[in-house]
Amino acid sequence: MGLFSKLFKGPEIDMEKSDANAKKMRLLFNQVVENGDDYRLIFGYTEDVARFNYGFVHGSKTKIGNLIVGWSESSQTIVVVPTVPDLSGCGDPTYYRRSEILKAYRNKYPTDAFIIYPDHKGYIGINACDWLDDESLYVYVSQEEALAAFTDFFIHRFATK
Amino acid sequence: MSWGAMGAFFLALLILFAVGNLWFHAVEFLLERIKRRLARREEPPAWHPLPTQEEEQQDRPL
Repeated sequence: MGLFSKLFKGPEIDMEKSDANAKKMRLLFNQVVENGDDYRLIFGYTEDVARFNYGFVHGSKTKIGNLIVGWSESSQTIVVVPTVPDLSGCGDPTYYRRSEILKAYRNKYPTDAFIIYPDHKGYIGINACDWLDDESLYVYVSQEEALAAFTDFFIHRFATK
Repeated sequence: MSWGAMGAFFLALLILFAVGNLWFHAVEFLLERIKRRLARREEPPAWHPLPTQEEEQQDRPL
């Protein structure tokens, strides 16, 4: 009985690990973003799917990019900082100010990603989940409440349509 | 179909799978080398390592 109830309960979140990673995310973000504490943070990721055809072998490859996504309600700005699953470092931030972007919307299909077009040249699709178990691919962090707040901000105050 | 024929069929599938994998990795390796050669002139993107606890304490005002 005990074993079965454990099996059906599914994976449990290690909150200690999640909190430690949330602190690391804050450290990295504040290191590269001026007034970083003005931003709330979530973990997001991009998926780059590329098809290949090498003669008799063909298929598709998916590249996953980890992101620390910060948002400020007051300045209506989203800041995206690239990182790695173990949070050992991060790249330079990219700022998406609502007044400067071309358009932003919540996608429906194939994934419910947050899409931002800074200009006509390209776009970024930010995917986010409450929690992802695969530590080799994604940052291990539980963010149910923060993601709900970000979704609300994006849909009601950042999206352009 | 006899057991021998079934075994030969699965062996052929296994060989096809192994050769396909080898071919995929060989092409990926070559493409990666070509990309690296072409990207040599470009500057690598900036990278900021996670500050250690000591660095963090030094940065804090007293």
